[in-house]
Amino acid sequence: MSTKMRKPEVLKLAENLDITEATPLIGELLKHRGADIKIDASSVKKMGGQCLQALLCASATWTLDGTHIEIITPSDDFLQCVEAYGLHLSHFSSQEPAL
Amino acid sequence: MKKTILTVDDSRTMREMLKATLLGAGYEVMQAEDGVHGLEVLEGAMPDVILTDINMPRMDGFGFIEGVRRDSRYRSVPILVLTTEGEPEKKDRARRAGATGWIVKPFDPEKLINAIRRLAA
Amino acid sequence: MDTMAAIKQTFFQECEEQLVELESGLLALEDGTSEPDTINAVFRAVHSIKGGAGAFGLEQLVRFAHAFETALDLVRGGKLTATRAILKTMLSAADVLADLVRITREDGVADDAEITRMVQQLEAISHGGAAAAGSQPADAEPADDLDFVPIQISLADLIGAGPSGTRSFKIRFEPKTGFYARANEPLVMLREISRLGAMRVTCDQTRLPSLTELDPEGAYLAWEIHLDTESDESALRDIFEFVEFDCDISIEEKQVEADFDTDAFAQLMSLASGQTPPMAQPLEPRTEQIAAEIASRNESETANRKSDANKGFNQAGATIRVDLERVERLIDLVGELVINQAMLSQRVAEARIARSSALAMGLDELEQLSREIQDSVMAIRAQPVKPIFQRMSRVVREAADMTGKSVTLHCDGDSTEVDKTVIERLTDPLTHMIRNAIDHGIEKPEVRLAAGKPESGHIRLAAMHRSGRVVIEVSDDGGGINRERVRSAAIAKGLIEPEAQLSDEEIDNLIFLPGFSTAATVTDMSGRGVGMDVVKRSIQALGGRISIASTPGRGSTFVMSLPLTLAVLDGMIVSVADETLIVPLTAIVETLKPSTGDIYHMGGDSRVIRIRDTFVPLIDIGHVLGYRNKLADPQNCVVVLIDLEGHARRALLVDTIQGQRQVVIKSLEANYRRVDGIAAATILGDGRVALILDVDAVVENANGKAASSASESLDLDHDTHARAPQRAHDFATELEPEPVE
Repeated sequence: MSTKMRKPEVLKLAENLDITEATPLIGELLKHRGADIKIDASSVKKMGGQCLQALLCASATWTLDGTHIEIITPSDDFLQCVEAYGLHLSHFSSQEPAL
Repeated sequence: MKKTILTVDDSRTMREMLKATLLGAGYEVMQAEDGVHGLEVLEGAMPDVILTDINMPRMDGFGFIEGVRRDSRYRSVPILVLTTEGEPEKKDRARRAGATGWIVKPFDPEKLINAIRRLAA
Repeated sequence: MDTMAAIKQTFFQECEEQLVELESGLLALEDGTSEPDTINAVFRAVHSIKGGAGAFGLEQLVRFAHAFETALDLVRGGKLTATRAILKTMLSAADVLADLVRITREDGVADDAEITRMVQQLEAISHGGAAAAGSQPADAEPADDLDFVPIQISLADLIGAGPSGTRSFKIRFEPKTGFYARANEPLVMLREISRLGAMRVTCDQTRLPSLTELDPEGAYLAWEIHLDTESDESALRDIFEFVEFDCDISIEEKQVEADFDTDAFAQLMSLASGQTPPMAQPLEPRTEQIAAEIASRNESETANRKSDANKGFNQAGATIRVDLERVERLIDLVGELVINQAMLSQRVAEARIARSSALAMGLDELEQLSREIQDSVMAIRAQPVKPIFQRMSRVVREAADMTGKSVTLHCDGDSTEVDKTVIERLTDPLTHMIRNAIDHGIEKPEVRLAAGKPESGHIRLAAMHRSGRVVIEVSDDGGGINRERVRSAAIAKGLIEPEAQLSDEEIDNLIFLPGFSTAATVTDMSGRGVGMDVVKRSIQALGGRISIASTPGRGSTFVMSLPLTLAVLDGMIVSVADETLIVPLTAIVETLKPSTGDIYHMGGDSRVIRIRDTFVPLIDIGHVLGYRNKLADPQNCVVVLIDLEGHARRALLVDTIQGQRQVVIKSLEANYRRVDGIAAATILGDGRVALILDVDAVVENANGKAASSASESLDLDHDTHARAPQRAHDFATELEPEPVE
């Protein structure tokens, strides 16, 4: 777990985020804990419920940690999934403390 | 890309019906004659949905489903059980083995395709 | 729809296979097998028939198969012991099922009373089993009967059928771990719901833990959906049908009129109905670890399976299923090829090309190859006699039941292969011979016991290949032929002269004479109007021969010798009044040049010829077939002595003999129409069409002519009938050097 902060790191999501991707995804996310991170969702075609909850969990965790997390270049499929789940892209980003 | 469906059924009649139905709906079809054969066919293939009968020689549907789910590669492949038997305890056994859904034979082609379409989405 | 028709065809083929499986399984159980595989296979056979029948909406078949399957399931599950009586009922049920399949295939309507009776018997068995096992109430079963044929309703119908007007639902959907473990996805459910109408979804994340505590494959999210739809609740329930145990679902319809807090009400309801409260305990918490462990352990197993897979594919490649029509087309084409090759050879011969030339030698090789191709192609259509032998076990059961005798059947050589077309035409003769053996051969149990024999009679069916033909034997250990009774019956019917001196074999062969029947009383079976003469005729129609050997008190053996195929025939090519005819070689005893002194005129057109010490009716083929009006002068002719059924002989008068050869049979009926006296046609090497003589029909025609013109010839006719067999038998043994027994 490094603390090479400054430059936000980028985590690229797999194409098919099914149940088998959940464990590796959480592992990857935990590696970046404490750092600002951008999640590249450009190649996502499918997102299952468990990867969804991992990403949602990450955004809550990053918010609590006071670090930044956000989705970049979401694919159409990803956006459609998000909408179908009754969510918005903002749900995946860390919430800046209201001033 | 076309979606691929694996069907496992010991009845040639059923296999032909399923094949005709699935091809007609634009799917690629792989077929196996029983559970053992099903696991063999599965090697090196990645179907989008698996349809299996329960009552088969050599290895029945329960054994087949367990076999599929044991293999981490296939954990996310939806498995639909297609059988004439509708008893709750059999359903429950198939569910515990890892079946995603259940369709009673004789199947309504439209209903079957609907079920597959939504699972393969 | 073409595909459906083809699949239905497959279904019926498969039924036949399942029925064989079913019967042999039941018979094995009767023999005391306790292999679980056997009962499983039996169950599967019926189950499979039911499944297919359901797919085609064959309700009668489904109903029957279901009753049968229910009983078998109890045996399979060990809740019911398959006693002899139960197995007997099941064998009868298998017979009824076979009938029902056949009737259904022919689009017929089965006798509902018989089906119902059998269904009741099966249900009685099932209820007995269920009651004995003390499991579910016995009469719960029939009510379920119709339940398993689903009514085919599409989603669209449901929507259309729903009450009109928009309804509002509030749905809460909370997947559990098992939901994901079974490869379900919330998105699938959400998308399905959205198809029903306008919806608003909110995702409930309140149960999400922190990332470090998150079980990657746990289930923490829930969704709340507001849906405005024209569908009713059942359409919604349908979506969750598969997953009802793997998630918590509440569906509440919002009463538009009622003005109270439906959300609160829903919450109350879910609490009241004992729904899992939020923060549900994660089920199967260690699934993932266990799965990973198993997965790693499976790596090696997977590798093993891979090599097995290859093996499996090789095995699967060992047989293929081919449309019979294609095979028949191939056989036809190969027939054409053989004819063509023969024509080519003839042309080359006519061109006086040296036999040692490269061309002639190449042609020889071609001939060799054509023959080999022909043999191989014929082998494609060859099938084991097993199915037909198995069908005979039913015949034995029925005949034994009907006569009150106890009979067992033993089959040997059931893997012997014969051309499909031959096999198809064996059922009737075999059925009749077996019925005959049980009706007339096997004695009543008390008689057998008194004779020091086992109480149960024994019938043996055996098939074997012998010098290019198939030999099928039907033997019984009954009383043998009652020669005294056969003889007196033959005399009474005017078939032989009272003073005729007949050997035992001659007497035995009398039973093949038309119109012969020894039954003192007409039994159920022998009253069917089929005699051994019909059996003999149908065997002959197949190009076969039949003979009988009998020992008083020990039983009888019928031996049939059949060609391997009906597609080719060894024939003698003869000329009659400038026409070319083929006489099947199997019928020919010898050929000879007649001398005038041996011919006797019997009045009218009938003549006989003396061959050594026997008088044989002389048949002028040209005259019988109407090629010429005048009788031929025997001096310019050749006599072909033929062996008829019943070992009677006839002398056929032909002009010249051209030679012998194998010819490819072309059906006249298929290409032209049936012609009396002619069995089929062929095309010779020089391109001429030659007719293949139906020897028996020709003789029958000649008999008709003779009977009308000279009655005295009939007496002599019978005399030769009676005298001929001894010599015919001698000849038959010459032809078949290996003794039959």
